[in-house]
Amino acid sequence: MMLEMDSTSEHELVERCREGDEQAFRELVERYKGLVFALVARSISDPARAEDMAQEVFLRVHRGLPYFRGESRLSTWIYRVAVNLVLAQPRTVPTESLEGSGEGPPREFGTADRSFEDLALRDRMEKAIRRLPAQYRVLIHGHYMKGLQYEELAAALDLPMGTVKTHLHRAKRQLRKLLETEFR
Amino acid sequence: MTCDQLDELIEAITDGESPPEECEAHLASCPRCTASLALARALDRTLLAREVPAPPPGFTARVMQGVGQERWRAEQIVDAGFNIAIAFGVALIALGAVALAFSFGWLTVDRPTIEALGAAVQPWLSSLADDLRTVGLAAMLLTSALAVWWWVEGESSL
Repeated sequence: MMLEMDSTSEHELVERCREGDEQAFRELVERYKGLVFALVARSISDPARAEDMAQEVFLRVHRGLPYFRGESRLSTWIYRVAVNLVLAQPRTVPTESLEGSGEGPPREFGTADRSFEDLALRDRMEKAIRRLPAQYRVLIHGHYMKGLQYEELAAALDLPMGTVKTHLHRAKRQLRKLLETEFR
Repeated sequence: MTCDQLDELIEAITDGESPPEECEAHLASCPRCTASLALARALDRTLLAREVPAPPPGFTARVMQGVGQERWRAEQIVDAGFNIAIAFGVALIALGAVALAFSFGWLTVDRPTIEALGAAVQPWLSSLADDLRTVGLAAMLLTSALAVWWWVEGESSL
């Protein structure tokens, strides 16, 4: 997904983009599109809108490059632009999200039909994630995305490392609670 | 240890943090908390195993097309500004040339024409003079607001 860049090549790429080198910006998009698209597509359920938003992230990056001071890593800054855009979206709760609710005992895991349980859990989990507050959603999407370091997540959300961990535990707890109650 | 106390620790335990000793004892005797821990672990597994959405083919090309359009729009604005400045300059030069022509006596206008022109322009000039202070203040405020908006837009679009 995201390729590691040393600070020199990152700096060179930013400088080339600032000078109007179209090829350099194309390279930047190629490097970070996986990370940006994954975050946005996981947060926005409509694929066409997700693509529009991912494109908008890169347009904002392009507009903002002259203001990028290089105080953080380029990937962190791009991720922050994406997070800000995702958080600014109005919250939409799909109507089908309550389908999983109902009476009955809590489901047990580790039973014989594990793959079916996993599929069912994934479906319920996706619905429950959409019910989380936007910042918790972003935290969960970001944390479980390969290639994104814990430190980068903290920097992108402008939170101390310890706070990110606490918030992540709260987010996962809230998700679990939703699965234990509304999405059983 | 109560169920509520253990519930607070479940995500930390799932993350691999070592739980207090009382947790083991509680879990051994509480099916509800055991199920919650199993659910938290299953959630962790499922979140890790989720497919990462990949950008559709042609994504980069479409971004570059958007960048090109934005650049074109910016150039259009610069071009429009440049054209207005040129037109303003040409008008100033023409006005200066006419004024020079008058001062050297190469161009003359008979008195009735001047009086007719003066009478036509007079009401407009006097109303403009009355509103000059308000119009000037409004123009200054508008220019300042546009400058501040332009600056803030540049910073906040990130």
